[in-house]
Amino acid sequence: MAVDSYIKKMFGEKSSQFADAKVLLVGAGGIGCELLKDLIMMNIGEIHVLDLDTIDLSNLNRQFLFRHKDIKQSKSKTAIAAVEFFNYKSKLYAYHGSVLDTNLFPLSFFKQFNIIYNALDNLEARFYMNRMCLYLNIPLYESGTTGLKGQVQPIYPYLTECFSCVPKETPKTFPVCTIRSTPSKPVHCITWAKDFLFSQLFSNEDTNTQEIDASEFTNEEEAEASKKEVNELADLKKIIANEGDNEIVIKIFEKIFIADIERLLKIEELWKSREKPSFEQIKDYDHFFKDINKEYLTTCKDQSTLEEILKTFASSLLRLTDRFKNNENIEFDKDDEDTLFFVMSASNIRSLIFNIPTKNEFDVKQIAGNIIPAVATTNAIMAGFSALSSVNYFLENDNINRVVKSKMVFDSSSTDKVVNSSKLIKPNPSCSACSIVKGIITIDLSSTTLGQLRDKLIEKYNYGDDVEIMTLDSRLLYDFDLEDNLEEKLTNFINDQTVLLINDSDEKFDLIELYVLNSQNSEIILPELNIPLKKIKPSENENDENDDDDKLLVDNEENNDIKVTVSLDDDDDLVEEQPPMKKRKF
Amino acid sequence: MSRDLRTERIQQERKQWRKDHPFGFYAKPTKKSDGSLDLHNWTAGIPGKQGTIWENATYPLTISFPEDYPAKPPKIKFPPAFYHPNVYPSGTICLSILNEEQDWRPAINIKSLLLGIQELLDTPNPNSPAQEPAWKAFSKSPEEYQKKVKLQAQQYKDKV
Repeated sequence: MAVDSYIKKMFGEKSSQFADAKVLLVGAGGIGCELLKDLIMMNIGEIHVLDLDTIDLSNLNRQFLFRHKDIKQSKSKTAIAAVEFFNYKSKLYAYHGSVLDTNLFPLSFFKQFNIIYNALDNLEARFYMNRMCLYLNIPLYESGTTGLKGQVQPIYPYLTECFSCVPKETPKTFPVCTIRSTPSKPVHCITWAKDFLFSQLFSNEDTNTQEIDASEFTNEEEAEASKKEVNELADLKKIIANEGDNEIVIKIFEKIFIADIERLLKIEELWKSREKPSFEQIKDYDHFFKDINKEYLTTCKDQSTLEEILKTFASSLLRLTDRFKNNENIEFDKDDEDTLFFVMSASNIRSLIFNIPTKNEFDVKQIAGNIIPAVATTNAIMAGFSALSSVNYFLENDNINRVVKSKMVFDSSSTDKVVNSSKLIKPNPSCSACSIVKGIITIDLSSTTLGQLRDKLIEKYNYGDDVEIMTLDSRLLYDFDLEDNLEEKLTNFINDQTVLLINDSDEKFDLIELYVLNSQNSEIILPELNIPLKKIKPSENENDENDDDDKLLVDNEENNDIKVTVSLDDDDDLVEEQPPMKKRKF
Repeated sequence: MSRDLRTERIQQERKQWRKDHPFGFYAKPTKKSDGSLDLHNWTAGIPGKQGTIWENATYPLTISFPEDYPAKPPKIKFPPAFYHPNVYPSGTICLSILNEEQDWRPAINIKSLLLGIQELLDTPNPNSPAQEPAWKAFSKSPEEYQKKVKLQAQQYKDKV
């Protein structure tokens, strides 16, 4: 076969291992589709593809295994069907379901794989897969892209940094008072228009005046003003239902853009260190509301003049009002023009009042729709690197010291290189996932009491005094001050696949984490664990000098790992660039 | 993400509190229906100081620890409509040590927070009114204020 000999030529004799490998691909989306193709071309023995999603129109510009006729079909199943005509030997299996579902995918499901590839789009599933791979000690290839940026990180459990070792940025939220009283950026106005104004006016849930958490406001006048706004908006809903078109537009406009702002202006406190909102830029508004045309937004989509913004506001407001009167349940949808243009024009009017730059349709769509730009080429490149990184593991897996010498790949911030690489880093000693000793406990939950489990733990691990038993979601089941539960059967508190955290009361030993597998066997089987003593005030790099592990990743002069640096010019030097995150010394 | 700092700290607080807490106070995690304890949500009680109009009663509070505790302060609330000039109608307490932008420091423990709130009971801060009825009475008609506070003390009277 041409493919076989080609692979042999590229990767040598050891590449025959590819055919014996059984791998899991988590996610069949942008990166997943590309990665599936790459793995097939490597002649991997068995590829299992897992995805919970169905195909959407907006996927088709980059997920090339899908066609228009596949819309609404399962991604994983469609993906493996689409590659059928490839000339390949791999056995393919598709699973439609959430990777977090422990009924569909218990720990034992993941155990069968040699390698796991993440091609996910969310943090929760990434953290989860990271944890599973730590329990089972399976190499994990983590990948992700945003626009033109991307990253591949091979994770070799306990040898290199895991996905939880470095803090991840969580999506930004804004304080209520910034959104409601003191916006200073376009995104504040867009959030106000979409999450507050739009949902108050058109959401069909009974306008249950959400209680405003007063503590979020720095001063009580402000909280009061905000509460009034909400109540009056509820009244506006009645206007929408009963009045004629012109009255609706004028009344709503004057309420939200004049009266509410005047109320804010009265609170002197707010404007001591801020620019006051002003009506200067919108003062001629009534002039533009003289003849309102509902079709306006279908003809004019520009938003550069006050006239265009105001007429778009009037037109989209009335179109939504008509739909609302027909009892339609309207939700904001970036692809629903009426809702998008309403949010855009309302946020732009607010921006004019607060002297904030206005935004065009494309920007508003992106911000309000939470769109993370996806570029097919970036996905393809990162999928390629993910597959290549794993090649390194196949070729070197008889020598783990070499494996951990592989590299992480990420986009480059310098101008002459498109892609860059960096050495893998040692695990973070205080990582919430991989620094905690883990094991699997097999136990009959329906016949064992919490007390029996406690006694067994103390006996097995030589805890001097007593233990604390907690679940991963911070429920405390037992400690010396909570003895009521000791006689209860474990089924009352935990299930198969629950994670338990065990601490000793003396605080001598470090925390351990036990993954619960339910069994019919009455005997409690605890894992053999080497529980480290508790670190006294972890001063991180204390023993760096004489740490034996240091040998692991030094001398990388003779570089046997795959070179992943792609260069725009013909410069072959491997430039080590710091990845965009804190780096720990190996 | 380093270890779950929130839970670790809450367990520490719990141990500290058991070793040493001021007389008449209580603070503990709430019990879930399965008998386990919810470490992120506590209930607490503060006794009114003897010799003040708040005496002979224990005032209930809820404490919830946000995800980024102890970087952010816990949310401590009296029951809704609690009568005090510095308590919002929702029960939220207006006190600088509970405010992230003011005097909250991660080193402040539950004990000092509760002692601070006890102090606030009888010495309201006239500069940060949080509700109208109690604030108005406090600043304009002390007699009415005292009457209302004592009535509330009856409601939360200590069972002897």
